[in-house]
Amino acid sequence: MSNVNAVTFTIVVVLFVIVAGVGFAAARWRRAEDMLHLNEWGLGGRGFGTFIGWFLIGGDLYTAYTFIAVPSAVFLSGAVAGFFAVSYTIIVFPIAMIFMPRLWSVSRVHNYVTPADFIRGRYGSRGLSLAVAFTGILALMPYIALQLVGIQAVLTVMGVGTTSHNTFIRDLPLIIAFLVLAIFTALSGLRAPTMIAFIKDALVYLMIIVAVFYIPARIGGWGHIFAAGEAHMKAINPTTHKPNGVFIPTTGNSQLAFATLALGSACALFCYPHAITATLATRRRDVIKRNMSLLPLYSIMLGFIALLGYMALADQPTVASVKKAGGNAQLSVPFLFQHMYPSWFTGISFAAIVIGALVPAAIMSIAAASLFTRNIFKEFVKPDASPRLETRISQWVSFAVKLGALLFAIGLPKTFSINLQLLGGIWILQVFPALVSGLFTRWFHRWALLAGWAAGMIFGTIAAYRVATPTASHWGGSTDIEFGHTVYIGLTALLLNIAVSVAATLIFRAARAPQGADETLPHQYTADPAEAPAPAPAAAGTGAGTSGVVSD
Amino acid sequence: MTQPAVQPGKPGARNRVAAHPYISAAITILIVADIFFALYVPLYARATPKVGDFPFFYFYLLIYMPATGIVLWIVYLLQRRLLPAAPAAGSTSEEAR
Repeated sequence: MSNVNAVTFTIVVVLFVIVAGVGFAAARWRRAEDMLHLNEWGLGGRGFGTFIGWFLIGGDLYTAYTFIAVPSAVFLSGAVAGFFAVSYTIIVFPIAMIFMPRLWSVSRVHNYVTPADFIRGRYGSRGLSLAVAFTGILALMPYIALQLVGIQAVLTVMGVGTTSHNTFIRDLPLIIAFLVLAIFTALSGLRAPTMIAFIKDALVYLMIIVAVFYIPARIGGWGHIFAAGEAHMKAINPTTHKPNGVFIPTTGNSQLAFATLALGSACALFCYPHAITATLATRRRDVIKRNMSLLPLYSIMLGFIALLGYMALADQPTVASVKKAGGNAQLSVPFLFQHMYPSWFTGISFAAIVIGALVPAAIMSIAAASLFTRNIFKEFVKPDASPRLETRISQWVSFAVKLGALLFAIGLPKTFSINLQLLGGIWILQVFPALVSGLFTRWFHRWALLAGWAAGMIFGTIAAYRVATPTASHWGGSTDIEFGHTVYIGLTALLLNIAVSVAATLIFRAARAPQGADETLPHQYTADPAEAPAPAPAAAGTGAGTSGVVSD
Repeated sequence: MTQPAVQPGKPGARNRVAAHPYISAAITILIVADIFFALYVPLYARATPKVGDFPFFYFYLLIYMPATGIVLWIVYLLQRRLLPAAPAAGSTSEEAR
C-alpha cells in the first residue's frame, strides 16, 4: 500500500461510504405498505416519473462498459472494436422506441415483473419462459463481472492491495465493496440504485465535462489527440504483424464488423433483464417514450468517454504506465486521470467510475433475482409461494448472482473486458425473436421459438469459444468470419435463430401442434393504466407489521 | 405445455394507424432513417471534411447523438397525435413531474 495517494484514497472512500449510506437509507424512500412484494423490492413500486426514470435508466445503461471497457477498446484498437459503441447507443433508442412501450403496457396490465413473465403469459409456455429466464440470468453474469473488472481497474491504479501476493488480500478491497453493494441491494431493492443513480450521474457528468475540456488543453488539443490515435492504429503490431487497429473503418470488412457490432448490441440492450426492470419501474407509458428521446443526452457523454482512449494514447506517461502494468488497457483511463489531475479530482473521478459500476451491478442482480424467483422457483419449485416468500428468495438470489459474477470476473480473460459485455450480448440476443415478435404477433409457434433459441445459443456459444487471440486461446473476441465477412457472432446467431424459428413454425403449424394459451389481448399492448397494478392479494397481513429484513 | 389450444386474438388495434396515414408514415420514416443513417457506415467513414480538429467520422457520430434525441422527441409528439381525441385526464398533469 506504499504508493497509495492519501488524498485520492480518502475521497474515494468517503464518497463510497456516502453512497453506501444512501443505499441503506433508500429502503425508507417512497416507502410502501408492504415492502416485501416484488413490485416494491424489484420495481420500486412501479411509480417513477420522467425525471427519476431518466436517472434510473441512464444510470442503468451506462456502466463500467462505458467508462472502462469502451475507452480501453478504443485505446487498444480504435474504431471497430471500440467506437462502434457510439453508433450502438445511437440506434438503441429508435429500436427500443418501437417495442418497449408495448412491453411496458402489457406488463402493466398483467402485473408482469420480468420478461419471462410476459413470455409465459403470451405463449402459455413454461419451457420458453424458462429458456428466457435462464438466458437472462446467464447473460447478466458476464455483464456484472464487467462491473467488477471496472472497479478493479480503478483499485489497481490507486495501488490498493496490488502489492500483496496473496490473492485474497489483493482482492479484499473489491470483495468489501461488493459485500456492501450486495447487502444494501438485498435490503433496499431497486430503490437503492435509483437513489444512488442521482449521485452517480452528477459525478459522472462532472468527471466527463472536466475531462473533455481540461485534458485536451493540457496535452496539446484535439488535433494532437486524433493524430496520436491515428498513428497508433496504423502502427504495425509486433505480435500479430498487422496494424494495431482501425482509426476510420474504410474497408468493407471493417465497416460490416462496425455495423453488425452496433446493430447486435443495440438489439440486445433492451432484451437484458436489467434494462427491462428499469423500464417497468416507470409510472406511465409516456415516461418511456420521453426518456427514449432524453437518454441520448446521456449518450453524448459516451462519445467523449470513448475518446478518452485516444487521449490516453496521446499522453506518453499514460502509455508508459499501461505498458509497465503488463499492457492492461483497462487501466488506461484511470492512469490518464491520475497523470492529468490533482489528486483530489483524481479521487472524484475514480469514485465516479466505482459508483458508476455499482448502480448497474445492483440493478442487474435485482433483475436476475426476480427472474429466478418468478420464473424458476415459483414456476417449478413452489407454485404457491407468497409474495413475501418471493421477495425473500429474491433477496438471497441477488446475493448469489453477484458471487457467480465474481467467478466470471476471475475465470475469463480480463484484458479485453468489452468482450464480457459482447459475450452476454450473444446470449441475450437469442431471446430477441420470442420477446420482440411476441409483442406484435403470435405467428411464431412457441416450440419453434424454443428450437430457434436453442440453435442460436449453441451456435453462439461455440463460435465465441473458438475465437482465439495471440493472448487467449478461447473467448478471445466477439466477431468471427462468416462467408468471408467479419461479423458480430451475436448477430449471426440471431439470424440462425430466426431462420430456425420460421422454418419450425411452418412445420408445427402444418402438424397442428397446440398453440398454447395467450392471456393477453391486442388492446393491452397500447394500454396506459394510470394506477400501478395492485399487489397480488398477499397472504401476509397488513402493512403495519412488515418489519422483516427491511426495517431491521 | 399442457394448456389447451386457444386461438390467439386477432390484432385489431390498427384503426389508429389507418385513421392517420400521414402521421404514421412520418413516424415510420423518422425511426427507419434514424437507424439507417447510423448503421450505413460508408456514408460517414471518412477523415474529411474535418470539423475543427475532429475527423468527419468522429464528428458525425458525436453530432448524431443530440440529433437522435430531437428526432425521437418529434416521434413522441407525433405519436401523441395518434391518440384518441380525448387523452387521459392524468396525462397532462404528468408533465410537471
